[in-house]
Amino acid sequence: MSPVTLSAPRQVGKPQPALPGGYAGQLLRVDLTKRKAWAEPWTPDEMRELIGGAGLGAMILYRETAKGKGNVSWDHPDNRLVLGTGPLAGLPVWGTGGLTVVTIGALTNGPTSTQANGFFGTNLKYCGYDAIIVQGQAKDWVYLYIDDDRIEIRDAKSYLGKDTWETQDALSRDLGLTGHQLSVYSIGPAGEHLVRFAAIQGDYGHVASKNGVGAVMGKKKLKAVAIVKGTKALRAADPRGLIQCADDIAHDLKTDPSARSLYEYGTLPGVVNLSKMGALPIRNYTTSLTGDVDMKSWEAPRLREGFDHRGHQCNACGMHHCHMSVIRQGPYKGKIVDEPEYEGWSGAGWTIGATDQSAVAWLNTQTDRACVDVNEFGWVIGWVMEGLEKGWLTKQQVGFDLKWGDVAGADRLLQMINRREGFGDLLAEGVKRASEKLGGEAAKAAIYTGKGASPRGHDHRARWEEMLDTATSSTATMETGNPVHQTELGLPARINPFDGVEVAKLVAGCRGRRAFEDSLGICIFTTRTRLENICRALSAATGWYYTVAEAMRFGRRTAAINRATALRCGLTPNLEVPSFRYGSTPHDGPAAGQAVSAQWEKMVDTWYKEVGYDRKGGKPLPQTLKDLGLDWLSKELWGKKA
Amino acid sequence: MKVLKITPERCTGCLRCEIACSYVQVGAFQPAKSVIRVSPFEGHTSYAPYTCTQCAEGWCMTACPVGAITINAAGAKDVLDDRCVGCKLCTIACPYGTVFYDASTRKAFKCNLCGGDPACVHACPTAAIEYEEVATRDWLHDFAAERASHVLATNGGRR
Ligand code: SF4
Ligand code: SF4
Ligand code: SF4
Repeated sequence: MSPVTLSAPRQVGKPQPALPGGYAGQLLRVDLTKRKAWAEPWTPDEMRELIGGAGLGAMILYRETAKGKGNVSWDHPDNRLVLGTGPLAGLPVWGTGGLTVVTIGALTNGPTSTQANGFFGTNLKYCGYDAIIVQGQAKDWVYLYIDDDRIEIRDAKSYLGKDTWETQDALSRDLGLTGHQLSVYSIGPAGEHLVRFAAIQGDYGHVASKNGVGAVMGKKKLKAVAIVKGTKALRAADPRGLIQCADDIAHDLKTDPSARSLYEYGTLPGVVNLSKMGALPIRNYTTSLTGDVDMKSWEAPRLREGFDHRGHQCNACGMHHCHMSVIRQGPYKGKIVDEPEYEGWSGAGWTIGATDQSAVAWLNTQTDRACVDVNEFGWVIGWVMEGLEKGWLTKQQVGFDLKWGDVAGADRLLQMINRREGFGDLLAEGVKRASEKLGGEAAKAAIYTGKGASPRGHDHRARWEEMLDTATSSTATMETGNPVHQTELGLPARINPFDGVEVAKLVAGCRGRRAFEDSLGICIFTTRTRLENICRALSAATGWYYTVAEAMRFGRRTAAINRATALRCGLTPNLEVPSFRYGSTPHDGPAAGQAVSAQWEKMVDTWYKEVGYDRKGGKPLPQTLKDLGLDWLSKELWGKKA
Repeated sequence: MKVLKITPERCTGCLRCEIACSYVQVGAFQPAKSVIRVSPFEGHTSYAPYTCTQCAEGWCMTACPVGAITINAAGAKDVLDDRCVGCKLCTIACPYGTVFYDASTRKAFKCNLCGGDPACVHACPTAAIEYEEVATRDWLHDFAAERASHVLATNGGRR
């Protein structure tokens, strides 16, 4: 198969309305069935309306994946895989290499919006594109090569079977480019074998993990996207203002009490902090006690000291987050790993009863390389371990015995899942489908939401706002996210975390910020400053005058559009429930006796009322849509009379 | 004289210096036009920035046939655009490879210490680049020798 070279048509000479600053100005459309790629211009009005990333992706899904009254499924050629970035990517604001993946995902068969960092956004925008929209399915495995105007759909056979790090190593070698000169986002064996929780990983350690986006890429037979650091210029409307604002945000991140530990240690402090709330998921939610583990050794500074490490930050980022580490001791001595996030310590660690830090760090990188979502990995493996312990699964079924904390065994199972071998084939369907198939006690022990989303690596029985958010979400992961500087929006700094009504009001009140952030091409951590600062950065980049109110409205608009797509996919309010185990009551630890099930209905009712959606059908109410400036959507959802 | 003191061990490869420098060079964010360049070592596990050391010998200056490279107020060798004829001799003469040629302007360009207020120093979040009164030297030599010869972990962590 010889590579097809396609020069992207550039609109030279034609008068164009002035492009807002920050934008590259074109979208890259790739049709794998036709083996064609072309650049599509988008207008300044569309940029202002959709911004990029999550906002742009939501609209593309809504417009382009409808099928009759329903929606195309995740594995249909007409499914779109939007690899988007945004107006801040490639600019000097910290953490601006952002990638937001928007597609119909394999776990819920509904929309998803999941984000990662690295240098995707930087390299892509310097090549001249704000997003890649992939459609169709290739006949044979391909990878997408982007080098300024040179776009090629190339044969990827020689990279098949390689894990994500090996794929990037091999592509760098073959293309003669090292380090950030080449940004590679790829799938591992898991994505190739359509594991329903396969992820997309890039630049050694950045994972867009949710809702099986890796399976979508695998179904399209797209092994990787390789983007050379482009040579084009990005302009800002007010470059001095942008640099000043970037410095202000950096100052905020370094000094604000709520961001400071993140600045210093990334998400490492999560383990100890969450364990004190009873929100560290231990052994598949069978306990909330850390037992005889020395928790001092889990304090962030100790966790970091335990490894030789080097900074490996994303574009323009000064956070002390994202490191390459070397394992010092034990069976994995000398291995290079990506310093685990909190989610890794939890999914590849506590959830499966593993607390040997070197082993967990290694297993976490194994999941990145095979390329699955580490959260769902934890829920799957923990469920198997519990089943073997309690006897509702047998050694014969699984193929071998697997005890709590057995990291080598967990990796063995990971490799079986990866290639859908033996029992791995069932597990590759995710814990919801696997447990439903087995039924009985097995069904009661699995952790998931009714729509099929994998919760983050927390024990949400002690963090109701995340459980509510994950269960009601239209994007198969937290749609609202944690409150950040919510007092700026007039919301309370503290609530009673076990009062369902207060929880629902807080979640509804914060709704919107996340979708806004994920549309900018910036990291979720470097936006932990006041929203006002982010709006200032956007304004300086684009030349718009963007306000906090407009940002929130934008985010809610995006959420409403995703909701419309989700409903078309059959993700209706009756599915907005936690699984039996997920919604159970902790029997020990700091949150013992707190029964979320007792308040669930009231909590969801309140949330619906607050967000202005119809509790029964799930649709955003006509008035809500009108307030958001979505009259067109109102007509489509409610008919002309509404 | 104050020069750019580089501590390669501190660099994380975030490329913020390149973005900042390009803004000084062309008034836009375009790392391709930056005169500080961050190179990877040991594959993807470490990075270090590099630019003109303002060497005492001034090879570029000596090589220029039209006298387009002069010393500016900050003591840096600076290319005078209206005198540069784009012959590229300086880019060949520089033993460090830190003089560049811009095909679009047909001029050579290099670090001029931003006239005494280096943008890259302000931009670097880890103080891997500092502006100090120190003797200039090849900041990367030892680092490069060490990192090129031995990979972070002996077996490189590859399976
Ligand atoms: S905070 Fe971490 S993930 Fe975010 S941009 Fe910085 S280094 Fe990357
Ligand atoms: S001192 Fe100025 S010109 Fe020299 S490398 Fe730094 S930013 Fe570029
Ligand atoms: S800004 Fe500093 S840390 Fe970042 S690449 Fe440049 S020298 Fe390295």
